[in-house]
Amino acid sequence: MFFLHEMERTILIHPSFFGPRMRDYIDTQLLHDVEGKNAGSYFIICVMEGYHVSEGRVVPGSSHAEYTVHYRAVVWRPFKGEVVNGKLKQLDGIVTSVVETGFFVDVGPISAFVAKTMIPSDIKFDGNATPAQWTDNADQVIEKGTHIRLKVKGIRVELGSMFAIATIKEDYLGPLA
Amino acid sequence: MASFANHDFGGSESEDEDFNPAPAVDSDNEEETHSKANNKSSNREDEENDNEDEGSSPPKSKQQDRKKSQDDETDGLNDANGDNEGEEDEEDAEGGEDDEEDEEDDDEEDEVTGHPRKRRRRDARLQFIDVEAEVDDEDEEDLDEDEDLPDEMHPDDLVDMPAGAETDDRRHRELDRKRDLEANLDAEKQAALLKERYGRNRTTRNADSAMVSQSLLVPTVDDPSIWAVKCKPGKEREVVMSIMKRFEDRINTRDPLGIHSAFERGGTAMIGHVYVEARKREDVIAACDGIQNAYVRPNAPVLIQVGEMTSLLKTTASKTLEPGMYVRIKRGKYEGDLAAVDAVESNGLEVTLRIVPRLDYGNNEDPGALILDASGKRKRLPPKSTKANRPPARLFSETEAKKRHGRILSLGTGTLGKKVWNYGPDTYVDGFLVKDFKINHLQTENVNPTLEEVTKFASSNEEGTDNLDLAALAATIRETSTAVEFLPGDMVEIFQGEQQGVCGKAIGVHNQVVTLRVSEGEMKGQIIEAPVKALRKLFRDGDHVKVIGGSKYTDEVGMVIKVKDDRVTLLTDSNNQEITVFARDLRTASDSGAAINSSKYDLYDLVQLDASTVACVIKVDRDSLRVLDQNDTVRSLLPSNISNRIERRRHAVATDRDGSEIRNDDTVKENYGEGRSGRVLHIHRNFLFIQNRTQTENAGLFVVRSSNVTTVAAKGGKVNSAGPDLSKMNPAFQRGNAANGNAMGPPKLMGRDRLLGKTVTVRKGPYKGLLGIVKDSSDESARVELHGKNKIISVSRESLAIKDPITGQNVSVGFGAGRGRPGAVGGRFGAGTPRASDGFAGGRTPMAPPSGGRTPAWNQQAGGRTPAAAMHGGRTPAWHQQASSARTPAWGHADGNRTTYGGSGSQTAYGGGGSSTWNPNSRTPFHGSHGTSSGGSGDAYTGPKTPAWHAPTPSSSHSHNLGSRTPAYHANSASSAPISAPTPGATPGAAFDAPTPGFGAPTPGDTSDRPTPRGYGGYGGVYSTPAAAPTPGAFPDTPGYGMPETPAAVVDEDPRIVGFLAGYGGWGEGTRGEGEWFEWHRSAWDDMVLWAFHI
Repeated sequence: MFFLHEMERTILIHPSFFGPRMRDYIDTQLLHDVEGKNAGSYFIICVMEGYHVSEGRVVPGSSHAEYTVHYRAVVWRPFKGEVVNGKLKQLDGIVTSVVETGFFVDVGPISAFVAKTMIPSDIKFDGNATPAQWTDNADQVIEKGTHIRLKVKGIRVELGSMFAIATIKEDYLGPLA
Repeated sequence: MASFANHDFGGSESEDEDFNPAPAVDSDNEEETHSKANNKSSNREDEENDNEDEGSSPPKSKQQDRKKSQDDETDGLNDANGDNEGEEDEEDAEGGEDDEEDEEDDDEEDEVTGHPRKRRRRDARLQFIDVEAEVDDEDEEDLDEDEDLPDEMHPDDLVDMPAGAETDDRRHRELDRKRDLEANLDAEKQAALLKERYGRNRTTRNADSAMVSQSLLVPTVDDPSIWAVKCKPGKEREVVMSIMKRFEDRINTRDPLGIHSAFERGGTAMIGHVYVEARKREDVIAACDGIQNAYVRPNAPVLIQVGEMTSLLKTTASKTLEPGMYVRIKRGKYEGDLAAVDAVESNGLEVTLRIVPRLDYGNNEDPGALILDASGKRKRLPPKSTKANRPPARLFSETEAKKRHGRILSLGTGTLGKKVWNYGPDTYVDGFLVKDFKINHLQTENVNPTLEEVTKFASSNEEGTDNLDLAALAATIRETSTAVEFLPGDMVEIFQGEQQGVCGKAIGVHNQVVTLRVSEGEMKGQIIEAPVKALRKLFRDGDHVKVIGGSKYTDEVGMVIKVKDDRVTLLTDSNNQEITVFARDLRTASDSGAAINSSKYDLYDLVQLDASTVACVIKVDRDSLRVLDQNDTVRSLLPSNISNRIERRRHAVATDRDGSEIRNDDTVKENYGEGRSGRVLHIHRNFLFIQNRTQTENAGLFVVRSSNVTTVAAKGGKVNSAGPDLSKMNPAFQRGNAANGNAMGPPKLMGRDRLLGKTVTVRKGPYKGLLGIVKDSSDESARVELHGKNKIISVSRESLAIKDPITGQNVSVGFGAGRGRPGAVGGRFGAGTPRASDGFAGGRTPMAPPSGGRTPAWNQQAGGRTPAAAMHGGRTPAWHQQASSARTPAWGHADGNRTTYGGSGSQTAYGGGGSSTWNPNSRTPFHGSHGTSSGGSGDAYTGPKTPAWHAPTPSSSHSHNLGSRTPAYHANSASSAPISAPTPGATPGAAFDAPTPGFGAPTPGDTSDRPTPRGYGGYGGVYSTPAAAPTPGAFPDTPGYGMPETPAAVVDEDPRIVGFLAGYGGWGEGTRGEGEWFEWHRSAWDDMVLWAFHI
């Protein structure tokens, strides 16, 4: 789910950037630092314009100037139970290892895994197809590149990345036509 | 008169009786026995009679009516059935009751005379009935039982229906009403009623005793005392049986035993005692006197305090095994294995178990061994199947079994598609071993079956379908569930009991009760308590959990993707593997990434465990470490158990078995064992921690001693090596002649080669047999001017034999030629190494006897003394003894103590220093290994050399010590055998170690840096027995000498009590107290086998 979130960040500026275009540099630095990054349980999608930069302050002992920036950003936080659309990154399991069955889906910045138990039983793995696919031998074909709608079942946050498991074993979930 | 309900029973009972109408048989006798019944019912009968008078219909039609009425009770049908059952019970119970009632009747008889009643009864009942049959006395006796019933019956069912009864439905209505009432009584009341009336045999008199609390049943001082009599431990039961027999024998004699009961508690702490309940000590003595295994002396029976009596019968409720439960086997081949209970013997001592067999099908044993066993001959098989080396648990495979054991394999008689095989002494059903086990060999508590184990049992049933008996499993698991599993903060769910389905967060755990705050539903927010047994951990899809135990997946972290009852399927974070574990084995993992590792130790760190032990970290867990220590054992420990981390020493050097250096990152290969190879990760003293990437266990790490490896590839770092290069210092290596550089070269001797100018024959090659004179010589070859041909040939020194120019006899050159010129024979010494196998060398190897003529004189002499030498354990060479100084070698003995073989002592050593550095040690182990054992002349030959070289030069020995710096050496020299033990029982491997000290000697500076000092050089001077000492590497570590398996003494915890109650079943005129005592007995003995007998 997307939110507007207010945050603040401290930016250190090297003295070489001191000067009239300093504000530009702070902007750049901020966007570079936060946009598209995982901030714990959510992703910062986009920093909104009109943020507020505090007075600069030279840090004692070093020549850097410290600016505190208040900004608003569009963030996306996946929730358990949320239905998302994703694009299939890869199909898991040309390797016939039965335990590794399922497929990975990229949902924005997070990678979700749909395990075999989360796939309707009529959709079966077909390792002989190229590329390998999950299919019910009718209109539902899940292969690399397929757009798919899935529901997040759980989220794991690791440093700098998020990982989810998801299911398509519910009504209206599965590959998008 | 009992309560109204009593009549109900009577009524319902009589109904059945009615369908099989008992002939109305009355006689005087009957009248007497049933006077009471008549008394009871007399009033009512009067009424009845009136009624019967009014309506006069034949009994038959009444019966029909009654049937009809019964049918009418549509809802009463079931009730009727129930009644019938109840009646059966009643009848059973009544048997017991009769006795008492008889007594009562007797009492009453005194008061009430029979005749009036008889007459009245006859008048009342029989006025419409043909009574011809009544005179039949025999019938009457047959029907006694039936006649007992009337007093419980509804009066109108007592006899055939009076005439006119069919029109009178009053009684039917009455009956129906009663039945309705009865049906309306709820089952519990009904049961209570039944119990009150019939449940107990002896307490009917005071029917409310059922309500008496247990505490009032506890024996008092008025009850008979209990006496403890000692007996032979284990024979308690026999003693009790003997007492019982004696009791029976004397019961009807003039002096019956005055005891009330006897019992034992064999399996418990009361082992070795039987307990006899009696009023007087004398009775106890009389009961036990002379009984085998009972030790009764006049003062022996110990009176049990009244307060302690109850403790005697206290039973710890043993877990009753039921088919389907899981147990673990405590000992034997299957120690620790899970087994499913197939059947429980009725005696409760044995169970039939289903086990996944561990069979090797004879692959690891002598093929004949099992056959021998089968034929009855006892053959002691080598101790197999320790827990470590037993075969893996797999289902029985007849094809495997047929391969080697076809003869002891036979198809058993299976039932219903079960495959039964008899293999050896055991039976295998559907692949499982089915075997009887004694219960005390089983672990029934804390079984903790893991899902993997359990699925083995489940999946292997028909066609591998998963028919896991979850109920049984749950039962087993629930038994073992303990409060420890729940921690405050856990989400739990109540899955049984009234509050089933309630879930919440545990906020406290006390003993077996968990306090939880309900998180969902109507009770949300409430705090309730629930017993641990009714709880299970609750997980939801997507929960991030960690496996905390009880399975092979311990420490895996993953996300829950499926929850079914107790089983949780999760997807591991590490490899997206789906695993299924029990909820109890899971715990919610912190949401932060699992990868953060706070341990201050890293994988492959070398750590110091204690002063003498180091270990290498092979696994880092969140709060523990798994390390491989220098003894090749793996242990898990807390970081706090580690004293410090040892920095990797970049310049650490060890020597391999060939004496070459090992440094970090070198690739080495194990010489023995599995021949593993790998990269040296750490060098610590003489232990190498080696990493082998192809090995999966222990993170690819293993530990070896440096002396057990050879360097395969050194990692070019030697150029920078701080110390001098050993190989450069060693003449033998410099010469480069020795095969792969590890043969000890001959002593390089000073002065002119003794071979020069000698007359020699060529012993082999194209010039074999030709005689000549040595014109020139080098280390390896000599140029020989042949006598027969004017030609100078170059021949290997080894293939020359020195002849006396005049006699043509063989001359033992090196020795005979005098001490000053040892050089000539240098080659021979070289040959003494095991590698040189030809010619002269052969003579020196113990196996090959010295080649007669060529054996130097002293050698033969020595050989002659071999036995003597051997008697000295091979330590003292023959020539030794002969020498004035024990240390003087034979060939040096002309010279007394002066040393060596090469002339003046000071000259001996190569490289100066006055010591025989080059030397001998190389031989020592070699000779030792053979010399001590064979005692052949070869030994005598070889043996003596060793001491000779260093022995006499104490100074040299000193230098050796310096050079070698062997702590081990010092340590062992003290305890070592006396002098002359230069021939330690070193394993052959030592021979390879040997050169090292030799090198070491001339290069003392070098050794100082070596972390793995080598001991050899040292013992020359002291003649310590290096048997153990300096050759740590030579003796493979044998950690295998484990502790012998000492099966723990298992106390038979059979809580059952065996005993008998003399009073049981109505014996004697029990006082009230006794009755209660008995009650108490019975209630306490609910779950024990009671050896009671009725009298």
